[in-house]
Amino acid sequence: MQSATVDAPRISGRRLRAIAGLTGPAYFWLALTVFLPLSAMFYFSFLSDVPFGKRVAVLTLENYAAFFEKEFYRTLMLRSFRLGAEVTFYCFLFGFPCAYLLAKTIKGRWREALFLLVILPFWSNALVRIFSWTMVLRGNGVLERLVNWIVPDYGPLNLMFTYPAIVVGLVHSYLPYMILTCYISLEAIDDSLIEAARSLGARRLTVLRRLVLPLALPGILAGAILIFVPVVGSFMEPRILGGRQGTFIGTIIEDQFTAVFNWPLGAALSFLMLGFVLLILLVVVPLARRAT
Amino acid sequence: MLHSKLLRRGLASLVMAVGLAFGAAQSWAEEIRVLNWQGYGTDEAWSLELFTEKTGIDVVHDYFNSEQEMLTKLRTNPGAYDVVLINSAYTKQAADEGLIQAIDTSGMKNVADLSPGMRDNENLAPGGTTYGVAWLWGVTSFAVNTNDFSEMPQSIEELWDPKHAGRVGWRDDAIEAVMFAAIATGQDINNPSDFVVIRDKLRALKPQIRTFWSSEDEWNQFMSANEFDLATYWSGSASRSKTAFGLPVEFVIPKEGAIGWLDGLSVATDAPNPEGAKAFIDWMIDPEFYVTWDTEVGAPASANAKANAELPETAFNRAVLGDPEKVATLQFMGPMDEELRQKILELWQETKTYLQE
Amino acid sequence: MSRRGTALARAGRVYMAAVLLFLYVPIVVMAVMSFNASKLYRLPVDWSFTWYTALASNDKLISAGLNSVWVAVVTTVIATILGTAASLAFFRYDFRGKRLLQILLFPPIAIPWLIIGTAMLVFFFWIGVGRGLHAMVLGHVALALPYVIVVVTARLRSFDPHLEEAARSLGASSWQATRRVTLPWIAPGMVAAALFAFAVSFDQFVISYFLSSPGVSTLPVEIYTSIRKGFTPEINAASTIVILVSMALLLGVARFYRFGGER
Repeated sequence: MQSATVDAPRISGRRLRAIAGLTGPAYFWLALTVFLPLSAMFYFSFLSDVPFGKRVAVLTLENYAAFFEKEFYRTLMLRSFRLGAEVTFYCFLFGFPCAYLLAKTIKGRWREALFLLVILPFWSNALVRIFSWTMVLRGNGVLERLVNWIVPDYGPLNLMFTYPAIVVGLVHSYLPYMILTCYISLEAIDDSLIEAARSLGARRLTVLRRLVLPLALPGILAGAILIFVPVVGSFMEPRILGGRQGTFIGTIIEDQFTAVFNWPLGAALSFLMLGFVLLILLVVVPLARRAT
Repeated sequence: MLHSKLLRRGLASLVMAVGLAFGAAQSWAEEIRVLNWQGYGTDEAWSLELFTEKTGIDVVHDYFNSEQEMLTKLRTNPGAYDVVLINSAYTKQAADEGLIQAIDTSGMKNVADLSPGMRDNENLAPGGTTYGVAWLWGVTSFAVNTNDFSEMPQSIEELWDPKHAGRVGWRDDAIEAVMFAAIATGQDINNPSDFVVIRDKLRALKPQIRTFWSSEDEWNQFMSANEFDLATYWSGSASRSKTAFGLPVEFVIPKEGAIGWLDGLSVATDAPNPEGAKAFIDWMIDPEFYVTWDTEVGAPASANAKANAELPETAFNRAVLGDPEKVATLQFMGPMDEELRQKILELWQETKTYLQE
Repeated sequence: MSRRGTALARAGRVYMAAVLLFLYVPIVVMAVMSFNASKLYRLPVDWSFTWYTALASNDKLISAGLNSVWVAVVTTVIATILGTAASLAFFRYDFRGKRLLQILLFPPIAIPWLIIGTAMLVFFFWIGVGRGLHAMVLGHVALALPYVIVVVTARLRSFDPHLEEAARSLGASSWQATRRVTLPWIAPGMVAAALFAFAVSFDQFVISYFLSSPGVSTLPVEIYTSIRKGFTPEINAASTIVILVSMALLLGVARFYRFGGER
């Protein structure tokens, strides 16, 4: 991770104070409300039972072993990662051009207005949005009626309860993340740089590949992370839109908390998921940096 | 310095938040707190108005979305709740954990009218001590779209009939799914003996299932959009779909039997207002409340025999569930140990993975 | 502009419109269904104001909506400030443990909410924080912080640290340099981060649901608890009002303030 080191030569005491002062409040807050509770969960993941009341819990690795013993856990984990990758890819594919248009070609009031219009859908409830999609995608729903109105007798689309339906719902939910993060990176690129490259005879595609994409990479990566990471663990969207196709590792984890009282296994599965997510990011992020 | 100023501002907001939360929690009138599923009887606005009028007690609600959550909320909030709805399969567990208290029913005028079999049900009153007052009961089976059936099916095998390939709705619930398979394969729903047979029976659903449903509303929408020929369902909800939504559905109790369940109302340990809680429970089993609820909104069957008898003769809860022959075929959900629940969940998860291949 | 350029610009506009159309499909459907008298969301629409009149007398839903706004606003302010401060530290200094602090931002995003929510419920019970709006603010800020830090950091990547240095060499104090040079540059990132934080809080149902005390809830909690029964179109009506009000509000603000960081 590159970083400016303006204050590097300064006396370390002051520097330390500054670092602690700037990061302290945020991380103290995170520690109190997320890290400590999650550490408790992490501890539970090594127990045979939740230590509530009279329950007896002993230390065990069984919960982690379960993942490797039962094939369907692995199948579902892979499926979840595939879903995360696909949704991230589509968000980039559709979101990046949109961010570019916003940052580079649309000017003035329109830009502010469009920028806000992109974010606003976010402010409606995720559950309500997903239920709206069911009305669009379901049999005899909005989309099917529209298609049959344009092409008479097209027949049923059969989109609801399929894998693509889940992807559509998730891409919709997460697309604004990609547009926003790409936008703030693209907006920072000096227009004159692009003009200079163009006037030196570089073709549009070359400018895009050699200049714009590398400079926008921090935004693209930030967006990709903010999309990929939560999508892997998503459970609500697959459950509602996917029907029979809607079983993923996120739904399996949810079951350990709602259908049975097995927090240890649920916690173990989520920490395994987190581990794999971090592994993938550790491999992919530097690769992406090097490639551009 | 920047951060200290910001921190101060942040803290000020935090203090404000705390103040507001306490302000909202403070209330002058006597109140009781109820923990239940949303929209499950206790929170009917007209009934609460009547109850407050009669007793001067305000009713505040908190909700859960699964039985496990209900237990967790009880465990982590001692003294926060007065009345809690517990499925009789979980009552003993809650009592053993010390989450609910024994109820002295002597002052409750409607308890005498409860069907004795339900009032003294071993799951609600283990060892003769009442921990849950029998409130509602019903059947989990399946309902059919009457447009697709000229005569009502008699067998649970209808769910597996190739005629309905891709037209069956199924609830995504491990225990319910396994219980259906247990009934279809002639096993005890609370302690199935042959899991291999059950697994194969569930796997055979692969060509059948259109989708999983998770809420009553979803069920109604799918039925209304003609996605299902037939779908697993709850008896109380089926009568609601029929009367309140005008859907062409009919609930079926097949000859192999169906899943029966019984819900009780309990008083939480350390309830701040146990007397108010008992008064509220007594109101919930009152025929005056129940008859209006079932006829205007739609409800499961009441454990109060007198209340059921006051229903119109055509009401499902009286006509079908009042038939002792039908009731005899039901297998009631009983307590399960966690090991068995876990085994059932894993079986269902594995099946679902197979179903989507 | 060349003719090719104009054609490209036109294609761009069409593309933008298509993306917006996609983003607004469910919003429009939601709004239309809020005017549909059918409880089952049947088509064609049977136009009516039933759900709006029902909503007007639904005190519970209204107070839940106001709670949501309140929690979201407080969360946005706290998270944006704390998160920006942390991003500045990551940008300015290289220090041992920095990587670790950055990696620590992932668990709150990656671990399913249900688990974080359960963990928070249990932990807050242990330490005596309890439940209520204050607990929700605690939880929401924590969830929003990673988003704020990731977004602001992405913006800072494009900042030339020598600008700060130059300001300092011209006699500006550290705080002055931050306020006059750095903050204006990252303002678009901060605005985006704040909008994220607001959305994260305003949309959060699982954690709010665990942390809300009996009788006190937010809009998403109301929606989430009705999931077993299914929610009435009143929820659609409430969501439509929320979207319309925030659209009017944001576009109003945009008239006076430029988010885009126009040069």
